[in-house]
Amino acid sequence: MSIVRRIAANDIVQMRRSRVALVSLLILLALSIVAALTSIAHRDASDELRARFQAQADVEFEGQPARHPHRMVHYGHFVFRPLPPLAAFDPGVDSFTGNTIFLEGHRQNSANFGDVRQSSLLARFGQLTPAFVLQVLAPLVLVFIGFGAIAREREQGTLRVLAAHGVSARAMLGGKAAALGVVAAIMLAPAALAMAWLVAAGGAPILPALALLAAYAAYLALWVLAVVTVSSLFSNARSSLVALLGLWTLTTILLPRIAPDIALAANPLPTRLETDIAIQRDVRATGDSHNPDDPYYADFRAGVLEQYGVDDVADLPVNYSGLQAMVSEELTSSMFDRYAERQFAQQRQQGNTALAFGLLSPAIAMRDLSMAAAGTDLEGHRRFLTQAEAYRFGIVQQLNQLQAEALTYADDRSRNTDPEAAQRVRIDPSHWHDVPEFSYRSATTAEKLTAAAPGLLLVLAWLLAMVAAFRIAARRLGRAL
Amino acid sequence: MNEQAGPGPVIEIRDLEVSRGGSRVLDRLSLSVAAGETYALLGGNGSGKSTTLATLLGLLRPDGGHINVAGADPAAEPEAARRQIAYLPENVALYEQLSAYENIAYFMALAGAEPDAMRMDEALDAAGLQPEARERRVGSYSKGMRQKVAIAMAVLRDVPVLLLDEPTSGLDPRATADFNQLVTRLKQRGTGILMVTHDLLGAADCADRIGFLAQGRIVEEIVPSAGMDVLALHHRYTEAAAA
Repeated sequence: MSIVRRIAANDIVQMRRSRVALVSLLILLALSIVAALTSIAHRDASDELRARFQAQADVEFEGQPARHPHRMVHYGHFVFRPLPPLAAFDPGVDSFTGNTIFLEGHRQNSANFGDVRQSSLLARFGQLTPAFVLQVLAPLVLVFIGFGAIAREREQGTLRVLAAHGVSARAMLGGKAAALGVVAAIMLAPAALAMAWLVAAGGAPILPALALLAAYAAYLALWVLAVVTVSSLFSNARSSLVALLGLWTLTTILLPRIAPDIALAANPLPTRLETDIAIQRDVRATGDSHNPDDPYYADFRAGVLEQYGVDDVADLPVNYSGLQAMVSEELTSSMFDRYAERQFAQQRQQGNTALAFGLLSPAIAMRDLSMAAAGTDLEGHRRFLTQAEAYRFGIVQQLNQLQAEALTYADDRSRNTDPEAAQRVRIDPSHWHDVPEFSYRSATTAEKLTAAAPGLLLVLAWLLAMVAAFRIAARRLGRAL
Repeated sequence: MNEQAGPGPVIEIRDLEVSRGGSRVLDRLSLSVAAGETYALLGGNGSGKSTTLATLLGLLRPDGGHINVAGADPAAEPEAARRQIAYLPENVALYEQLSAYENIAYFMALAGAEPDAMRMDEALDAAGLQPEARERRVGSYSKGMRQKVAIAMAVLRDVPVLLLDEPTSGLDPRATADFNQLVTRLKQRGTGILMVTHDLLGAADCADRIGFLAQGRIVEEIVPSAGMDVLALHHRYTEAAAA
């Protein structure tokens, strides 16, 4: 057996006999297991509930009686975002962004404009998930188990005895890191089992799952190296513990809390109310789409009359009101898209600013990559909003087209005064079945991995930096022995 | 008996100069210890005793001079030198959570030896550690018991050089006598022993030569004899320390 393995094996025996190490590891394992089980159960229940509500909303939409198509535009429809399987590992921003949107004509509902980036890790303390346990609690337990790795040996005098037995500083540090690495692997085990379950039974994509697991392994490895390196710098275990707790607090609690606030201050988003008011102001400027005589649409009206070679909208072979509704929807929808894009761009900028703090805190980098690989990051939410908006626009235009083609302009104009016309504008409910169901397309594996790449690069950079620090510490310890 | 034991010196120090914190601690120190010889280095606080041991262990780099430990230069190849040395610090450092057996097995394994239970028992018998204590965690041991574990390790390592740092400090007279017997037994096996101590009587009892260290160099070296005048010896020691 090599010297490094012997030192590691001896450390593990001592950890098993140390109540502090054993109890803290057992607590972490219990938390990991509870987090994995509750997260899987929560995700399954939540996904089942959303699927049920979506089916119910579809049935209710299709079960509407004969109506005027534009009444159906205003009746609206609900869509629900299905949770990605890896949300059981890291639910990401799902709890903050919402997952339901009410779709209706002339409006893009405001889930798009929620203040979703104004939360941070601290706000997520209530959520016990495998990701939280590994990102925040596992490094703390590694600190508690490993703070004395070298410092206590120095304090007790065994470091000098090891040196006197011909053990090199590199072997000492290597053995300590290997022992703490075994502890980290044990910490990772429940998460790995949960991940395997999610892949085997939950339909989670294997590559992002493996990437997540590898990234968490790298994250814990860099903490292992950090703990042993810092421990080698101090002459007593207490000083090492204080320094490591300070490092953990700064990088895992404070910076992840402060970074979003700084990102927000650097790239302020308008509040939801400000956005709603601005949109309503712009919408009002586009006239009344329900009034065929609204002057805002005079040019459009003239163009339609010219296209069909008639002088009056009543002579058109199609219902002008439906045509105007279609063009109005195009106008308002492109306006909503502009607002949404502007807001998305600002949110991305905020995200980039916050991620830049990953240079100071590996927890920030790990959080970002974890959500991205799990498909629960803000980009996943934007994907849902974009698809929901495309779907909304599609069904509204489908109904507006029905209005233009299945109804006459005369009936449409007199439906409020002529009961027979009112009856005729109510078209057969079988048309509602023609409206397609919403089908959310989640990010592909390549898209998830691409989104996770910046965080992954930061975590790898941290790991390399810790390897370099570890080697320097070994040389320093070698000179000091 | 260890392989390196022979007629020549197992420790040879010539004109050794070592500084710590900017001041010269060892100043052209020269001494040698032969295989099967016990050399006691006596000196007051700050005379350079512990610095001598640390330099022999390769824990301090000398400014000048020459050292040889059973064929290895601790300054150039500290790990090779340490493989030839068994070292007993003043306060024996062991792993509190491990038993005597486990501590011995661990340190022996690090030194490249894997003694079986019988050999460990033989060594612990020789060191005088009670059998019923051997499976207990050493966290509950007295200083004397810890020293016995360390001596057992030295016996098992079978190396040519044993360095002892204040070995009888804090031991009661019975434990001191037991310890001196053990040292004698190791010496008979051919081990060259260098002990640094304040204990004049202990040194006179078990050392073959005594060197008085003052201001980083040997100021006087004597060979203790059976009829030696202990008071005169004490006087010379005090004079050397004050020099």
